[in-house]
Amino acid sequence: MFQLGRNDLLPLIEFADFSFKYLGADSLALRKVSLTVEEDEYIVVTGPSGCGKTTLCRAINGLVPHFHRGYIAGNVYVDGINTRESTVAQLAPHAGLVFQNPTNQLVTLNVEKEIAFGPENLGVEPSEIRRRVEHFIDLLELESLREKHPHEMSGGEQQRVAMAATLALQPRVLVADEPTSNLDPKSAEKILGILAEFNRKGMTIVLVEHRLDLIAKDASRVILMDNGQIVADGNPREMLSSSVCAELGIGIPKATQIYMKLEKRGLKLGRVPLTGEELSDLVEEASCS
Amino acid sequence: MSFLEVFQYTRQDSPIHNIDPRAKLVMSIAFAIISLTFINIVPLLIFFLFLVPLIIAARSLRRWSRSMKGLSFLLLFIMVFNTLFSTVPNPFSHSIALTLRLICLMTSFSLFFLTVHPDELSQALIQMRVKFEFAFAMSMAMRYVPTLGQEAYAIMDAQRARGVELDKGSLLSRIRGIIPIIVPLIIVSIRRALSIAESMESRGFGGSENRTYMEQLRFRCRDWGVLAASVLLLLLILYLRFFVPLPDWVLWELPY
Repeated sequence: MFQLGRNDLLPLIEFADFSFKYLGADSLALRKVSLTVEEDEYIVVTGPSGCGKTTLCRAINGLVPHFHRGYIAGNVYVDGINTRESTVAQLAPHAGLVFQNPTNQLVTLNVEKEIAFGPENLGVEPSEIRRRVEHFIDLLELESLREKHPHEMSGGEQQRVAMAATLALQPRVLVADEPTSNLDPKSAEKILGILAEFNRKGMTIVLVEHRLDLIAKDASRVILMDNGQIVADGNPREMLSSSVCAELGIGIPKATQIYMKLEKRGLKLGRVPLTGEELSDLVEEASCS
Repeated sequence: MSFLEVFQYTRQDSPIHNIDPRAKLVMSIAFAIISLTFINIVPLLIFFLFLVPLIIAARSLRRWSRSMKGLSFLLLFIMVFNTLFSTVPNPFSHSIALTLRLICLMTSFSLFFLTVHPDELSQALIQMRVKFEFAFAMSMAMRYVPTLGQEAYAIMDAQRARGVELDKGSLLSRIRGIIPIIVPLIIVSIRRALSIAESMESRGFGGSENRTYMEQLRFRCRDWGVLAASVLLLLLILYLRFFVPLPDWVLWELPY
């Protein structure tokens, strides 16, 4: 479904000692961040507000340093391209960014035009644009919205259209910056479900999200940030049961919380659960043995 | 403001809707010029009777008549005002003609605006060599009008909740009451504009010299026909008006 294999030997995204300070800001937004993202990963980035998550996202598709200017040190490579040396538009087919506010991402008067907007900007053949529009309308279940004005859609529907519009550029990595924070729980769950589905189909995803309880089970890696730095990076089960989460005030899934309390009282379950089902299975195993 | 409805696009499937917007633009302008050519009741009435079937063909008669009803106060005002203050020999006849002319003019332009989707309009402009950025700015304005409206209401509610009285007091204090609405609205809009720009940039806006378009407007035979017919009609009317002595019945006026 997605294009693969352009620069297979390099990591998909590489931050090399990357620091950034916004013009007019007092402190660095990112401090010497080093990070590599490989093909097929589903990375969840979380941390308190102002920790640099959004700047990290912007650095992946070149908005930092081309749209938001400021002091910069180190490099970011996406698909082997140094983001300093290419424009945001040139990076668009490599890294797609979905934003927090769905209303501000929909700039045309109907869904078809919206999905076509990106490929049209890049000069893709009209017949190919038509194919992509139909493909993503189908994939994200937008058929009933086709002719609607963005104003007539709910937040969740708008965000789905925004995702389709970003995916129409056929990026190798989809970066989503808190795509669910303006949505009701049900729509949020739907959006996160779509992301997980895409990841299963082979799409690399970087997601900034607070509601770890909803996504911990899908993620392949969790990155905790604080004060412009990556403070912890590892698989979700390790990360969520570590003390760093508690220190940063990051909400962890209920099941993991219960697990940790049981652990404290001396009950060993062996594995860190991320969902209620996993927890009940582990408890059952423990009580049987 | 119900009379503005006649300039608002409505989605319909009609022969008028299907004409290419460029041909329709020429047609509307030709009709408008024709409306301005005469200042006598009879020719304007004939032209009006010619326009009404076109409105019917666009399946917009109801919307059109609603607009005209909304406009009736203004029309009446024009009629009375002109009858009383005009210096022409037969002011009553003259003012009726003026009113008819305004109706014809509005109907001519509404044939365009009622039936051209904003997207079609911007695509037409692009294909008429207007820069994409300008045409797109226009369609984006259409896109964000309802959003801004909603925002304005939210700000009004917020200010009311803090005790700002927006609909009380003298005219002056009401005008002053606009300030606490306008200032936050501008600030919010600037922020929104930045966020929109970020999103557009991320999707390659302005990235390629050779922007493509999923759909291009095509000028078909029918559109050439509409174009030719409009221009011919205009030329014919102009010829009749300026080079042929008009018969008496055309210049007929109400008895004074």
